[in-house]
Order: sequence, then structure tokens, then C-alpha cells
Amino acid sequence: MLGVVIPLVLNMLTLICILMIVAMGLAIVFGLMEVINLAHGEFVTIGAFTLALTQANGYDYWLALMIAPIIGAAIGFLLERSLIQFLYNQPLSTILVTWGVSLIIIQILVLVFGSQPLAVTNPIPGSVEIIGVGYPAYRLFLIAASLVILGICIYVFRFTDFGLKLRTTIQDRDMAEALGINTRQISAIAFAAGGGIAAIAGVLVAPLLVVQANMGMFYLARAFFVVIVGGTGGIAGVAAGSALVGGLETILSTVMTTTLAQATVLLFAVVMIRLMPQGLVRAR
Amino acid sequence: MANANLARPARLRAWHVDTRRRLILFFICLAGIAALSFPAWGGFYGMFVLRDVFIFSVFALSLDLLWGKTGLLSFGHATFFGLGAYALSILSLHLDPTYGSLLGLLVGILLAGAIALLFGYFLLCGGVRGPVFAIVTLALTLIASHIAVNWSDVTGGDTGLSGIPPLGITLFGARYELATPLVQYYTAFTILAVTLFGVWGMCRGRYGRILAAIQDNEVRARSLGYNTSLHLLAVFTLSAMLAALAGALFAGLQQYAALDFIGLALSTEVIMWVAVGGRGTLIGAVVGVLIVTLMKQQVSSIDYRLWPIVLGIFFIGVVFFLPRGVMTIPEVAQKILSGLNGILLSRRRGRGHP
Repeated sequence: MLGVVIPLVLNMLTLICILMIVAMGLAIVFGLMEVINLAHGEFVTIGAFTLALTQANGYDYWLALMIAPIIGAAIGFLLERSLIQFLYNQPLSTILVTWGVSLIIIQILVLVFGSQPLAVTNPIPGSVEIIGVGYPAYRLFLIAASLVILGICIYVFRFTDFGLKLRTTIQDRDMAEALGINTRQISAIAFAAGGGIAAIAGVLVAPLLVVQANMGMFYLARAFFVVIVGGTGGIAGVAAGSALVGGLETILSTVMTTTLAQATVLLFAVVMIRLMPQGLVRAR
Repeated sequence: MANANLARPARLRAWHVDTRRRLILFFICLAGIAALSFPAWGGFYGMFVLRDVFIFSVFALSLDLLWGKTGLLSFGHATFFGLGAYALSILSLHLDPTYGSLLGLLVGILLAGAIALLFGYFLLCGGVRGPVFAIVTLALTLIASHIAVNWSDVTGGDTGLSGIPPLGITLFGARYELATPLVQYYTAFTILAVTLFGVWGMCRGRYGRILAAIQDNEVRARSLGYNTSLHLLAVFTLSAMLAALAGALFAGLQQYAALDFIGLALSTEVIMWVAVGGRGTLIGAVVGVLIVTLMKQQVSSIDYRLWPIVLGIFFIGVVFFLPRGVMTIPEVAQKILSGLNGILLSRRRGRGHP
């Protein structure tokens, strides 16, 4: 019994944690500027590719973990400055433009690195015994690392000057501007930070997945479910949405195929929209 | 004197609108004649290309009806196209060919309508609009293609389904089949023409005004007494059924169904067709399919891996430079020219009054 329950719970936690850090940037950007970034999945891909390239050149996993967020944030910043900033208040245009960016990034990665999966080695092989049940050590590290990132995000969101400005802007953009907050600057920083966090997520999940150019799409749709189900109220909404979507999918996957489980989660998310249009956690 | 001055621009404007309309009508007639006579002077290969363009135009029209006329962007319209294609293929492979393909066509259309109705009810009546609608439909197409891959006993998985009997109908013991290229060409053309006029006629009168009101200001439309969610739901369902019709026809004519018909790639290409042609113009959907398909062939003949990059640039370029499609290129050019002119004039004036 314990041999079944513990891995299940830990698998659930792994997926929830991954979803949480992937969806974080997406949710904040959506809450902040009503912008849906369809290129968000590509930041995950960029993170994973950073890891693959770092290891291919003989460097360590940990170096990749340090530089991936910088690369992700830099690309995010460039994207916001060059295209997104001209499209505030035009949500559908943003969707089309970010989709175009996503196509271009994927195909450039394919052209440069080929369509073969890249090799990534697990930095913490082996397993750890938990109450007599073995579990891969890397997944435990992933859970811990995600919780640390979540903690940092909560700290920045709740207890810093920037976090206060961010929350003000999410609540009421016009009022924030009237109070002298430079909302455009806040948006640019939030967009870049979202890209950076997604790139870290890419490094973290890469050893568990096949690293190839179109891997971002794999998480993008589920990250959107998280945002829809959780609401755009900030970090609490993301956490609640991830717990529901990730938990449900893991549990359903034990009784049906993964595809069917994902389809059921989609149906669930759609029904949730009807019942709770604001999401689990309301913005306040 | 003042009266004459006021009247003249108005008359000029009326004349302008009238000529524009006449010009458009003239071009449509010209295109129609060209398309009708194409088999006589065009190549055999061109006929196949145009046949597919016609079917894809029906698909693009289905999205234009939704996105152009109500403002709802479906990012997963290929779900319905693929449903039609797979339903026709599966049923005509497994049932008696005398009625299998026709039954498949109907089942595909009804199934697509039912799914659109179900999802549309939860989404549209739940107040979901704009970006969230787009991403939920995006998820829908991802799931649909997942199912098509994994349910391989029925859908053929990665290889798809081939060897589908040609679309046909048995009337009073006689069998009519869409087998020869010429018949297929004219059938596709007829269906496109009927769809185009049907959608145009539907959006022309009072109903089109209601949809326009919903798109412009839904709250106001609702306060005028229109059940806006219900109208949107109806259009979404109709649009899905039209997409399924296009999908079923395409599978029936190509005699195969594959994953390309249901996935995200086609879902986004149809958006590009509509956007390039100018959303809401209906005829633009056809123009968009023609331009993008020809462009795709040209680019793919250089290197097929370049196409996604070109498509991506298209997505960005259309939003920034041609938000109302290629048919507005003359207007946009004129605006730029008059803008330049204005700058020059103001400079000259500036010099005159220092």
C-alpha cells in the first residue's frame, strides 16, 4: 500500500511543482497586462537547450541553472521591448504576434540544432529511500528547488517595493499610473522575470523529458489550464491551479491513459470556467 | 456657395464607394470566370492545387464567419476540420461504400456541431471571450491531435488512414462518384461558391448587424435585448459544422486522413489565411488561402524547414503592418503617401511662416 501511495504523492508533487513554476510567469503577465504569451513555452525550451549545450561543452548542470534564467530574462525583455509593448490593450493581436515568435524560435532551434533530441544527463542519479520506498533523488531535488523559487516569488510579491507596485498595477492599472508608478517599466520587468523563471523550469524538467525544439508546447497548454482554473490573482491562484490540474492529472493517469487523462483535465477546466469564471483565487 | 462646397465632397464620397463596390464586384466576376474556365487553359497540376484551395477556402470561411463577424478567435479550428475528415474516413472504410461516405460526411458535421455546442455552452455562456476562448480552443486542438495519435486502432495513429473510397452517392441504383479531377474541381468550386454566398447572405442583412453589434460592444447589444451568448454559440456551432464539411470533403477528395488535418499547425494556418485576406471580408478568406498556399509552395520548394519561420514573420507582419489584410494594401500605401505629403507640406508651410 505504502509502496503505491508514496510514489503517487511524490509524482503528483513533481508535476504540481513543475506546473507552478512554468505557469508563474504566464499568470503574472496575464494578470498584469491581459497579455497571453503563446511563446511562453519556448522559454522552457530555451532553458532546456541551455542545459543541453552547457553539458555538451563539458560544463556542469549547476552552471546551466545559473545562466538559463539570465538568458530567458534577456530574451523576454527583448521580446517585450521590441513587440509586446506596442500591443497593450489588443489581446488578440498579442496572441497572434507571440504565436509568430514561438514559430520562429522553434524553427530556428530546429535549423541550428537539428530535429534530433539533445542529450541531457541527470546531475543527481540514484534514488532516496523514504519510509522504505525508493524514489528518484532528482525528482526530490526538483520539488525542493521549485519550492525555493516559489518562496522567492512570494517574498518579492509580498514584501518588496517592486512587489507592491506589481500588485497595485495588477489591481488597477490606471490608478497605479495616477499614483506615479511607471506601469510600463513594471510590465517589462515582469515579462522578463516570467521568461527567466520559465527558463529555470526548463533546466529543471530537462532531465525528465526529451529535449527537443517543440517541447515547450507540452507544458504551455497545461500552464494555461492552471491560469484559467487558478485565476489571475497572483501566486496563490497559480499554486491552487497547479495543485488541482497537476493532482487531477496524476491521479487520473493511474486509472486511464495519459491522453485520456489530459482530455479529462481539459473538460474539467472548461466546466470550471462555467462554475467559477474568476478562478479559484480571485484577484484582490 | 457654401452649399455647393458641402455637397461636393459627399457626392464624391458616394461616387467613391460606388466605384469601389463595382470594382470589387468586377474582380469577383473576373475571378469566377477565370476559375470556371481554368480546366480549359490551366494545367492538370494547377487543377489539383486549385481544388484544394477551394476546399481550404471553405474552411477559412468557417473561421472568418466566427472570427471576422463576431470577434471570437478560435485557435483550434482544425479540431473540427479533422473531426470531419476522420469521421468520413473511418465510416467510409468500415461501412458499405454505397452510403458510407455520405453518412460519414453527415456524422462528421453533426459531431463537430455537438462538440462545439458543448464547449461553446460552457465557455460562451460562462462569459469567456477573447484571449481565454482562444487558449481553450488551442488546448482543444492539442488534445484532439493527442487522441488521434493514441487511438491508433481507429484513427491509424501516426500513419493516418488511406485508401478511402471516393466520395459518392447512390441514387435510384445509379452510382455517382467524385472520381475524375474535372468533376472534383467543379464540385469543390460549387461548394465554395454556395458557402461564400450563403455566409455572405447570412451576414448581410439584419443578422449581420446583430453580430456586428455584439462584436463592437457586447454589453450594449445585450442591453438592447439580444441574448448575445446564444448568438455567439449559434455562430460557433455553425462555424464548426462548416469546418467539418470542409474537412470531410478534403479527406474524401484526397482519399486519406492524417494527423496534419487535426493539429495545431493547420489551426494556425487557417488563422493566417483569414488574417492575410482581411478578417470579416469573407472574400478575403479565399484570397488569403490563395496567397498563403502559393507562398508556402514557393518557400517549401527552397527548403521546407523555412516555412514555419516565414509563417511566423507573417503573423507578426500582418498584425503590425496590415491589420485588415492584403486587400487594404492600396489604402495603406495611400495613407503612407499622404502622411509623407503632409509632413512635406507642413515643412514647406513652416518655412513660409518662420
